[in-house]
Amino acid sequence: MSVDVSFFQNLKAPTKLALLIAAGCVAVCVAVLVLAVLPTRTQVYTLRTEVAGLNATLANMKTDIAGTEKQRAKTDALTKERDTLLATGEIEPLLGSLAMRGKALLDPVAQQTGFAIENVKELPLLPLQVPAPAPEQLYGRQPIEFTGKGSFAQIVAFIAAVEEQQPLATLSGLLVLSQPQTPEIHKAIVTFEWPAKGEKQKTPAAKPAP
Amino acid sequence: MSASLHLDLLNDDERFSSSPIRLRVMVPLMGFLLVIGTLFGWSFLAFQAHALSTQKTTVETDITGLKSAHAEILRLRQQEKEMAASLKQLAFYRSSQLKFGASLARLPEVVPANVQFTEMRVPTPPPFMPDPKTPNLGPTNTFESVSLRLAGKAGGDRPTDAVNGLLKALDNNPAFSNLIHHAEIPKGAFRQDTARGAVNRDTLLFEINCTCQPRRFQ
Repeated sequence: MSVDVSFFQNLKAPTKLALLIAAGCVAVCVAVLVLAVLPTRTQVYTLRTEVAGLNATLANMKTDIAGTEKQRAKTDALTKERDTLLATGEIEPLLGSLAMRGKALLDPVAQQTGFAIENVKELPLLPLQVPAPAPEQLYGRQPIEFTGKGSFAQIVAFIAAVEEQQPLATLSGLLVLSQPQTPEIHKAIVTFEWPAKGEKQKTPAAKPAP
Repeated sequence: MSASLHLDLLNDDERFSSSPIRLRVMVPLMGFLLVIGTLFGWSFLAFQAHALSTQKTTVETDITGLKSAHAEILRLRQQEKEMAASLKQLAFYRSSQLKFGASLARLPEVVPANVQFTEMRVPTPPPFMPDPKTPNLGPTNTFESVSLRLAGKAGGDRPTDAVNGLLKALDNNPAFSNLIHHAEIPKGAFRQDTARGAVNRDTLLFEINCTCQPRRFQ
């Protein structure tokens, strides 16, 4: 490939100089455009997007923070509601034993009704249905089995009194067996269940601000 | 006669156009102007980038300053979600509660004098078998059947009538409607007490199975 430079060679020296200077200027322009203007323009676009994003985040944060007191009141109300509910009947271990807690709770009721508790046994926790979204702290149904003796009226009075005094206690099992030796006194295995803390799930922490 | 003599003493390179704009001056000038314009444009963009960079730093500082306050509201929101979910799960439990006391207390009222119970049973719920694929999901059924089984014997003149009367009372009496959905005598559960000898041949053994209101965990 050859370039015909005869046209350029025939030009006068000042014209040649002028054209060379113009060509040099165009070359400088292209270089500045490629090496400086375009990267800076990209940087400006990127920065503009980032600043817009950060401003939106800042505005959201400010809006969120402005509602802190309202949110605190809402959260406190729900916490209080849950704590009140659990205070009425969640079963917690006494000296590490749920059976002991059950006995401590129901012994006064048994004495009041005449049902004689002879043995208390903790049964395995039954999981409760998990709502969506799932709570981190799951609750289950904790059955506790009370074996004792009493007349039918005493057994029934015991069940009714427990249901009345322990609002979250639910009868989940019952076996009343007649005793041939003592026709008026029956053996009874009464199982009550209470809500109790179950497993603690690991959930992702709250999404932090960027 | 005179003739005019025209002498051209200019060299070729001394000839100029009559136009005041000379191309050999204007072309480099335009080139320089183009360079200056490009540099100006670049400096404008660079200034913008600097201003945006400063603004970005300022906003980032503001965000950092608000992080602890924002973390507090995020914690409160998370706690609210946790409380709401816990309450919802506990509501499942509460809605499933079934009261036996009041109904059982009314039972003697409907038991005929010639009927004696030997056993009363409410089976405990079966142990939960978790799905190995989703062990943390808990039970997926929201329904748990509850039953009450009464076993006993009836003597006297008309033991069959006494047991049928008891069955009818359990099935229809409003005192039990909160607990018992349906009562029936299973096939083969109504039989003569053969173990007690010839004297008590009239004594009948019976079983009544009551389907209770189900526990609904929802």
